[in-house]
Amino acid sequence: MKLLQNLVWKDFKRNKVITTVLAVFLVLSALFMAGGLRVTGTMISSLNGLNELAVPPQYMIMHKGTYDEGAFENFVKTHDYIKDSLIVKMLDISNANIIYQGETMEKCLMDNGFVIQNKGFDFLLNMDNEIAVVQEGEIGVPVYYGEELGIQVGDVITLHEGDYRKELTVSTIIRDSTMNAALTSSKRFLISQADLDEISLHMGEWEYCFEFLLGEGTSTSVLEKDYMDAGMPRNGVAVTGSLLSMLNNLSYGLVAFIIIAISILLIMIAILCLSYIIRATMAEENYTIGEMKAIGFSGKAIAELYQMKYVMLVLVAGAIGYLAAIPFGDFFSSSVIKYCGYGTVEWMKWVFPFIGVILLSLIVMMRCRRIIRKNLKSTVMELMRGEEKIKKEGHYSLPSSGLKNRNLTIAMGEFKCKWKEYFVIFFVFIFSSFLILLPMNMKNTIENPSFISYMGVGECDIRIDIQYSEKLAEQKDAAISYLENDSEIEKYAIYQNGYVQLQNAEGEWEYIRVVSGDESIFPLAYLEGRAPDDSKEMALSYLNATELGKEVGDSLAVIYQGEELLFNVSGIYQDITYGGKTAKAAIDFDEKDVEVYIIYLDVSDGVTIQEKTGELRSILTDSKITPISEFISQTLGGITDNMGLVEGAAILISLLLIMLITVMILQLITAREHSAIAIKKAIGFSNRDIRIQFGIRILMIQFVAIVVGTILANSLGEEIFGWMLSSMGATKITMLVDPVKAYLLCPAAQLLVVFFTVIVATNVVRKYHIRDQIME
Amino acid sequence: MIRVEQISKSFKDTKVLNNISFEIKKGDFVAVMGPSGSGKSTLLYSISGMDSINDGSVLFEGINISQMQEDELSGFRLNKMGFVFQNAQLLKNLSIFDNIILPGLVAKKELAEDIRKRAWSLMKRMEIEGIEERDIREVSGGQLQRASICRAMINNPEILFLDEPTGALNSGATDQVLAILEDLNRDGMTIMTVTHDPLVAAKAKKVIYIIDGQIAGCKKFSVGADRQRELDEWLKGFQSKA
Repeated sequence: MKLLQNLVWKDFKRNKVITTVLAVFLVLSALFMAGGLRVTGTMISSLNGLNELAVPPQYMIMHKGTYDEGAFENFVKTHDYIKDSLIVKMLDISNANIIYQGETMEKCLMDNGFVIQNKGFDFLLNMDNEIAVVQEGEIGVPVYYGEELGIQVGDVITLHEGDYRKELTVSTIIRDSTMNAALTSSKRFLISQADLDEISLHMGEWEYCFEFLLGEGTSTSVLEKDYMDAGMPRNGVAVTGSLLSMLNNLSYGLVAFIIIAISILLIMIAILCLSYIIRATMAEENYTIGEMKAIGFSGKAIAELYQMKYVMLVLVAGAIGYLAAIPFGDFFSSSVIKYCGYGTVEWMKWVFPFIGVILLSLIVMMRCRRIIRKNLKSTVMELMRGEEKIKKEGHYSLPSSGLKNRNLTIAMGEFKCKWKEYFVIFFVFIFSSFLILLPMNMKNTIENPSFISYMGVGECDIRIDIQYSEKLAEQKDAAISYLENDSEIEKYAIYQNGYVQLQNAEGEWEYIRVVSGDESIFPLAYLEGRAPDDSKEMALSYLNATELGKEVGDSLAVIYQGEELLFNVSGIYQDITYGGKTAKAAIDFDEKDVEVYIIYLDVSDGVTIQEKTGELRSILTDSKITPISEFISQTLGGITDNMGLVEGAAILISLLLIMLITVMILQLITAREHSAIAIKKAIGFSNRDIRIQFGIRILMIQFVAIVVGTILANSLGEEIFGWMLSSMGATKITMLVDPVKAYLLCPAAQLLVVFFTVIVATNVVRKYHIRDQIME
Repeated sequence: MIRVEQISKSFKDTKVLNNISFEIKKGDFVAVMGPSGSGKSTLLYSISGMDSINDGSVLFEGINISQMQEDELSGFRLNKMGFVFQNAQLLKNLSIFDNIILPGLVAKKELAEDIRKRAWSLMKRMEIEGIEERDIREVSGGQLQRASICRAMINNPEILFLDEPTGALNSGATDQVLAILEDLNRDGMTIMTVTHDPLVAAKAKKVIYIIDGQIAGCKKFSVGADRQRELDEWLKGFQSKA
């Protein structure tokens, strides 16, 4: 053992740079693997914990206006599968009436409701994950605002309406299993019963949440249909437990998914590097291996000898990676911990990374063993003659016209003969370029206003929502009359949203949301087919079409107001709003059936969207007015925030990777080519010439790799992005690339990093002394 | 042509060359002999600027090359010096012919076509025509060494440095290489070689014998002398010291 340790130590001292770089790769792989799994473990634990303690509803539906409480109770009683139910009374207060630190909350796009603590389920929890309790004069603020606005315990929230003012002191920050995620557009504030009663006398509008817990095995679609059939109150959004889970997973799971994906790629790179290093090292030591075999060392003993170094390396790297993953994972889990707490199965965040690191170590060790065994198959004489060394690499020819650029000609010629040696670095350069561009292009696509076309409408500037009110028609008319007379509005279109019943693939009738309005004003690009152009046609969102198993040209049976109507599917479009399940048809909804009016508009040239939004907010006070860019970022919630984080991390990791791989490959290649370097020096090439030749080889490979990486990011990246958003309802995304960043700045940054790394790493050429090389 | 003035070189604490001075005149053929580890090769590399020295100076046509920077020296080596090593050191990714013309194309002193013509003529003189396009592993050691001499001569150097040029050759190939060296020297080429072999040294006009990094003796042969016999006699004195 002592002998082996000495051998390992001596080997490390001899190949310090290569061993260090390999160790860094292995540590990074272990770190990302363990870090990603730690985030996953934390996320599962946190979400489970929050759900266990807060008990979110499995189905909830919002409603504004009057309702028959007796009918609701009767509905619950007559349906055995309903385990429990709740009517949450929520006092909606306009953001303009809520003041924090002297400013109204108008800029926040969330709808804010004031509630008391629920009984039975759907509890609002404090930061210790206990059921929150607030006294008179106190308020519990959603953790979302704690994070976004920095609201803390002790701060004061003021509500005002006309002469009425009510000051509430923040006594706790609350976690809300139903409306926690940034992706949900409503947030709940917790106040005492006395305060709620008092405030409701002066301001706000009541909204009701009808919530249900179902018996085991009961589908929410059964409840949904029965609820609608029974004519229960339902003019608001309906949300299922699975949709809530999806929103939470999208918000918190994306980071874990990306970290794990990066770790898998890093492991692949580490294994490729390892294979390369082992082959290169063993090729250099063929003679020694041959001698060992000749004096009777068994293949197994030699394999163990060479394996020892890598086993020790991977074990040390695994341990460091596991330990470093603790702060690394915690950093990326901080958001889910703040929103959901530590949870009830905390062991996961320790055990998952441990299993990951063990798996990684086993994969690396097995790969290492295979390569070493393969290299030991040669006979003693083959090894001692150095078959590897005399293996023909092929020739390149010098041009008969002379050397116009000697370094370029020689670098290209040598590359032609030795291209196989550059496979690993080529792969890493492609990966780095891809890794930088993918999140950057995704972010750019999401941030582009044209992303609205994945939300069921063509490009426009501002969206106005008129909803949750008994005076919908009046509000709509007021909005239209204002827009008609505003010369700064270039065009607008109004859409009604209502529900119709539709027969699903199983033959059951279910309710779907239908948008009705003039599709020609803001034309939408359809995945297949076109917009409906008469009363017999209906277009389906991608998710609806997939679930219903419908294609363009198929017929659809729809029931509206008890009458069965037959439609043809005219087209399929992408829409990530309302859980991705919408339809478009020219149905003239009865006013009482309209759930929401949505107005899209474009402002005239020279008018800023922000100013127009402000102006409309001050005039149409009952409507929700949102610039499209904010609507997109609100709909995608945490995804856009995380994307920024991922983009920055990807750039850092990629640049670090290309720096490390360049150092490692140059170390290996200069060591392998020491004799050629010496000969070149002897016949009159300067150190500078030789360094330039290495630089040309590496930078040329990098240039090609960047081109390949960019093409992949644009093509494969689109597929990946489409796959990520397909669960939300958009599957065919056109990646929007910022050409200056993607085609100029990023390649330039990567090339510059490698350029400077080459300058540093080829400095070793100076140290290769002709005398040592020739006399060796 | 070359004046070596009190040069010394050490590796860590070991002094390999100790205060050595001598002169090489244009057209000289100098052989350096000595036991293994005496510092012969180090002397050759120090004089040719391939290795640095700790003390003293090496003046090449009055220019102190021991003060030159590495990149400056490489240009000097390219244009003024030719090198031949024990194991013919050629680039394995080039054919024999391209190895020979490479220094010529890099130096750009002549047109590419003229360099090629010179290479053909040198190969003919060295009697290695027909192996131009071959891989360096597809020819014999003697052919390879003669190709190395062609490469060393391609830029018309002022001096040819050789390190054990026949060390890895059989007797037939050794005779061929020695005949070429004599021929080149007769045409005016200055040659300095390091060798163990008295047969090689006997072709020189002057032999320097080194022991422990110091010149132990210097022998000049007179015209028409039986060099082999004189050399053998002279070397006996050093063998008894060793």
